[in-house]
Amino acid sequence: MTLPSAASPAAASSARAPIIVVTDLRKRYGDLVAVDGVSFEVAEGEVFGILGPNGAGKTTTLEMIEGMRPIDEGGAVIDGVDVRRDSREVKRRIGIQLQASAFFDELTLIELLDLFGRLYGRAVEPMELLAEVELTDKAKSQVRTLSGGQKQRFSIASALVNQPRVLFLDEPTTGLDPQARRHLWALVRTLKDRGHTVVLTTHYMEEAEELCDRVAIMDGGRIIALDTPQVLIDQLVGRGFTKARVERLANLEDVFIDLTGHELREED
Amino acid sequence: MATNLGLWWALFAASVKMFVRNRVALFFSLFLPLIIMLIFGVLNFEGSTTISLGIVDEAGNDASSALIEQLAEYEYLEISEGERESELQELEDGDRGFVLVIPSDYEPGVPPGDTGLVAYASTSDPSQAQVGQGLLQQAVAGAMVAAFPGSIPDTPNVTGAPVTFESVESRDLGYIDFLVPGIVGMTVMQLGLFGVAFGFVQLKRTGALRRLFATPTSPAYFLSAQVASRLVLGYVQVAILIGIGIWFGLQMFGSWLVLAVIVGLALLIFLAVGFAVAGWAKNEDQAAPVANLISLPMLFLSGVFFPRDAMPEFLRGITQYMPLTYVNEALRGVMNDGAGLIDLGPQLLGMGIWAVITFVIAVRLFKWE
Repeated sequence: MTLPSAASPAAASSARAPIIVVTDLRKRYGDLVAVDGVSFEVAEGEVFGILGPNGAGKTTTLEMIEGMRPIDEGGAVIDGVDVRRDSREVKRRIGIQLQASAFFDELTLIELLDLFGRLYGRAVEPMELLAEVELTDKAKSQVRTLSGGQKQRFSIASALVNQPRVLFLDEPTTGLDPQARRHLWALVRTLKDRGHTVVLTTHYMEEAEELCDRVAIMDGGRIIALDTPQVLIDQLVGRGFTKARVERLANLEDVFIDLTGHELREED
Repeated sequence: MATNLGLWWALFAASVKMFVRNRVALFFSLFLPLIIMLIFGVLNFEGSTTISLGIVDEAGNDASSALIEQLAEYEYLEISEGERESELQELEDGDRGFVLVIPSDYEPGVPPGDTGLVAYASTSDPSQAQVGQGLLQQAVAGAMVAAFPGSIPDTPNVTGAPVTFESVESRDLGYIDFLVPGIVGMTVMQLGLFGVAFGFVQLKRTGALRRLFATPTSPAYFLSAQVASRLVLGYVQVAILIGIGIWFGLQMFGSWLVLAVIVGLALLIFLAVGFAVAGWAKNEDQAAPVANLISLPMLFLSGVFFPRDAMPEFLRGITQYMPLTYVNEALRGVMNDGAGLIDLGPQLLGMGIWAVITFVIAVRLFKWE
């Protein structure tokens, strides 16, 4: 590594060329300001988390960047392409997993991946994609037969058909059991290792800590904090924060995983 | 362009697969009409024993009106009067069993063998015609006796039959011939309103449609592939229904091409209605009452199962402008009467206007989310 020495990892990652540049993004629905001047940059190969309570504007922000929702004010440039100018070109370069991962229920996984490939004008190898998300045994099943975790993994496979440079995952682990969640974390790390840039939203702080190089915390349509999880924690402690109860060596989730194992369960 | 066509075909094939694999949609759009057709076919509403008798009164004297009056006493005769040409046309079209012509020189007192009464009989169903001829002969003889008591012997059958029969080439239309075009019209309506509206609203609600927005392909491709797939599926369904109808004795007197044009126009109307409902509604709960509100009145008032003639006058007046009424009339016109496109001008015009109206509404109301 020949990175220049830097004060924080955040500075280190932004030293690389940013693949996403978001500037002063705004969205308004009538009187409600959903997104109120959001700016951030994401470096190539980074896993970037957007955290925040419900209604904070996470999904709206994501959808504007993805070209799924018109931008009122501000802008977003992904991989050098301005979303407001050419949202279609942006969509060509990114992979999107929507919060509600619904597909055409009556089609099989192979048929769907093949179809999605065509929507990007690409020939895909459905079995390879399914192997990446460990769904080869379900290849000929219809989507409606999949469990929640399987649907989420399939959703990621469908987001990979165009070999995207940036992958957007909107609450990828919501509703999953601890095993399925860990399974998905492993998948995200694999994607990162392969050089994909990942932007994800989540409600689970341990997930953000586990996966994200940097996180932005949103509330009321604004980013109220943005740094690496470690720096944010250090800052809080620096302000004199102490936990009411001292952290134990393990928590209940560790107990749960220890007792029930890492092995993936499917509810089918 | 070639790749776009390939993509379109892939979307089309996917749309067809999605429909065929959706058992609920398949049941409501294909099996339900079939079951209804079988039930109504088995019940067979033509089981009545009345003879439809057209009378052409060329004499126009007391004798002839007395005869007609007496014939009207027979309950198994369903009498209508008219001009020779129009009545013979009705006979050819299968709407009359017999047409009895009372000659201009008809007088009371002529011996039964010399009445000059001629009855034209339909050739379509010889066995039934035989029975009908016997019944008619009896009725006329009886009516003569009753009309002019004493003028002729009481036993007309002995002295000779009063009516001479002539056969006329004609169609014999059964209930199945009436029913199948109605079922075809109903099926097309159901496909548009339920096959399209519900399937599409579901894609909207679950977010499957939104997933398409995440790709660089315009959703218009998907929409047009959906419309095309439903058009093709509609034709397949109509073909199956008519095929089974033919097996049950359905007759086709018109051109298949004209039928295809009518079915195509009908499909366009109801697909547009379906997409208007689907485009407007956010979920199935919103779509259901609207779809029912549109389809139920037409199901019962557009002459699907029973002729609209039986309806009260005011209701007939209102319901004659409903899209399914035009569709059913046009379908029966081509299948039962062998009508061509020009003969069906009024119906086609009505359908065309509805196609434009429904298309405009669909475009106006359509929302992707």
